[in-house]
Amino acid sequence: MIVFRNVSLAYPASGALALDDLSVRIHKGEFVYLVGHSGAGKSSFMNLVLKRALPTRGEIQVAGEPLARYRGRRTALLRRRIGTVFQDNLLLEHLSAYDNVAFALRVTGVPGREWPARVGTALRTVGLEARAHARPVQLSQGEQQRVAIARAIVSDPPLLLADEPTGNLDPDHAREVLRVLQHVNLRGTTVVFATHARDLVDTFRHRTLTLRQGRLVRDDPAGGYAL
Amino acid sequence: MTYHFRQALLAMRGNLTATLGTLTTMTLTLLMLGGVLLLTLNVNRTLEGLESQVEVAAFLEGDADGAALLEQVRAFPGVREARLVSREDVLAEMTRDYPSTAEAVSLVGNPFPDTLRLRVGRVEDSRPVAAALARLPGVEDVEYGAGYVDQAVRTLTTVRAAGYGLVALLFAGTLLSILNAVRVAMYARRREISVMRLLGATRGFIRTPHVIEGVLLGLLSSALALAVLVPGYLALAERVAAFAPVFPVVRDLGALWLPLGAVAGLGILTGLAGSLLATRRYLRELE
Ligand SMILES: Nc1ncnc2c1ncn2[C@@H]1O[C@H](COP(=O)(O)OP(=O)(O)OP(=O)(O)O)[C@@H](O)[C@H]1O
Ligand SMILES: [Mg+2]
Repeated sequence: MIVFRNVSLAYPASGALALDDLSVRIHKGEFVYLVGHSGAGKSSFMNLVLKRALPTRGEIQVAGEPLARYRGRRTALLRRRIGTVFQDNLLLEHLSAYDNVAFALRVTGVPGREWPARVGTALRTVGLEARAHARPVQLSQGEQQRVAIARAIVSDPPLLLADEPTGNLDPDHAREVLRVLQHVNLRGTTVVFATHARDLVDTFRHRTLTLRQGRLVRDDPAGGYAL
Repeated sequence: MTYHFRQALLAMRGNLTATLGTLTTMTLTLLMLGGVLLLTLNVNRTLEGLESQVEVAAFLEGDADGAALLEQVRAFPGVREARLVSREDVLAEMTRDYPSTAEAVSLVGNPFPDTLRLRVGRVEDSRPVAAALARLPGVEDVEYGAGYVDQAVRTLTTVRAAGYGLVALLFAGTLLSILNAVRVAMYARRREISVMRLLGATRGFIRTPHVIEGVLLGLLSSALALAVLVPGYLALAERVAAFAPVFPVVRDLGALWLPLGAVAGLGILTGLAGSLLATRRYLRELE
């Protein structure tokens, strides 16, 4: 699903490498943790996959296509195939949970008659069908993050990137969000989950990639890490 | 589409100051443009009127070969028509117009020379044509009724050019105002826009509400400008026609349609161009 071949990334602003000669392959249907201390390069990895940053060196493929193919208008098409959940849930405060999820369908031109069924399914998947009409402020942070997940999966993307989605949450809510993501993964979506919460990684074991200063220092299918 | 339209209205209401500012500059610019266009229309109409009247006369010496000179003069550039009037015909004309001439003639004989009478194509041509005539052998003296016309033409064209210059400046100001309004509107939506990009919205989708905003601003300003311009001009034209009938004020709708249409068209076009430019620049900054 994701292939990095000798990828390095240096942000124009700073001289140092955010990612250093990274080669990794994430397969379809996998659930993968991406761990590392602050500044290790987890978000940089996500940014590269989303084409929000361009690699300084190396090649990246997503869903079998080199990212270089997604140029101009097609960048939007790439992003439609990737669901994203960030630490900041990026919900629109003036919209209800339902409308926030439907927003993803609206901006990609999905006809309105398909919304109720698809939004309903997505909200059910995250266990929030009863709160469909609540605004973000009326929801707990864990619930807000689940709305964000519903928005990320409503267009059935083959890939979901979660960048510290539990960063703002207490342990209970964090676990709840992780369970939802695992559920999404079981339906066939490839999930990359960046975190520095050891307890989560310890509780639910998945393949774990450890980054340190932009280098991949450990890749353990059994869930071991080198923090 | 209704979504884009609603977003456009929301953006305009959300940034009322910028919207009203743009609306004001744009309306004033269009008013000014309309004024200059209507002035031009009238100036052109007046000039046409003058042109049809301007005549250049060359008085020939007694032994000059009138017919040969006529042939020569007809070939001058700028001469629309030329004819030779014999001294007898001139006398007859004068006697008809001023009966007292007859008495004078009975004392001194026919004082009038053979005369070439020319009409020029454009008023501006009357001076060079007159100069060329004066240089011909056999021409004693030249007269053209419109030394003042020349001066008037120059003044009017200067005024017209100054008007166009002013309008161009105002348009630049209007464009900047639209760029600013759209930028402010997009900046206010920056969070929404960044979410849209992340969700895979195309640039076109993100731009559409703001392009609609620009076109709406253009439409509104055009409507406002025309609402002031049309009754204002017609009232003024009526006054001029009543009090200074020498000026051929344009009042037929067939001729007014063009400048008024230009005001409306340019208003909408400016709104469209400004918003296209602003949205493109804003989205590029985000890359
Ligand atoms: N936009 C940017 N411009 C310049 N440097 C950046 C930018 N974003 C990140 N960096 C640098 O790149 C390196 C990797 O940052 P990155 O955000 O990928 O780390 P991270 O693992 O996500 O950290 P955190 O856990 O704090 O989110 C850091 O040294 C950071 O300072
Ligand atoms: Mg990060």
